Amino acid sequence: MSDATKLAAAAGSTDPGTGLRAVLALRRLLETLEVLQVGNARRAGWSWQDIADALEVSRQAVHKKHAARWPEPDRREK
Amino acid sequence: MFERFTDAARATVNGAQTEARQLRQHHIGTEHLLLALLRPGPDTGLAHNLLTATGLRHDQVAADVTRLADATEPLGAADAAALEAIGIDLEAVKAKLEENFGPGALTPPSPPARRGLFGRRRATPTSPGHIPFTPRAKVVLELSLREALRLKHRHIGTEHILLGLIREGRGLAARILTDHGIDLPDLRTRTEQAAAGTKTA
Repeated sequence: MSDATKLAAAAGSTDPGTGLRAVLALRRLLETLEVLQVGNARRAGWSWQDIADALEVSRQAVHKKHAARWPEPDRREK
Repeated sequence: MFERFTDAARATVNGAQTEARQLRQHHIGTEHLLLALLRPGPDTGLAHNLLTATGLRHDQVAADVTRLADATEPLGAADAAALEAIGIDLEAVKAKLEENFGPGALTPPSPPARRGLFGRRRATPTSPGHIPFTPRAKVVLELSLREALRLKHRHIGTEHILLGLIREGRGLAARILTDHGIDLPDLRTRTEQAAAGTKTA
């Protein structure tokens, strides 16, 4: 039996190890999706405020977390 | 501490970096030290002979390391299994996203470049080719020194690195050895006996 089927079979169990492992996997998926979609929004011209509103967090929070990855366009280049 | 290392022991520490690079891994762990000890070569040390005598081969262990790394990598096999357990098909999520965002859309992002004070980019702390040792691998190297002291040896050879790996006992290397049915206390005894034979060498 593969690891995957073993885990799937244990889905109904109340084993904290199984449940918490799923939480970890979800968090990793969430973080990856967030980076992808914030980048998508920035490329589409959304402001940090727009993104913060959509995620229901403060503008500061979303800027602090993502600004280094999606730097402001350099105005001198325009 | 490195001045006491024998040539073979130094080659092992440097070799661990090569092993990590060849497997495209971004850290040097106990498993890479084990791989370096197992790699065949002209001046392998005592540990190489002791390990190959157990029937262990470099290519087998390299395959184990790849498999175990895949199981722990973010959004790798283990995450996929954990998500499946709560009814989420990671492959389906990946497929859907790649449809819109292209291949690799769900590859976990690397952390953004750190910025220093006033937003200046920090100088790269290490050279680009540098691969750091994991804390556990550092402990193994420290333990190799302690093992040499304990056995009253003036040099640190590959046998002491192996003793360090066994003493640390919880790294990937120890796990791989155990998975191959190798009894660690027994291997320690044989390593100490072999080391005693070369004490004056």
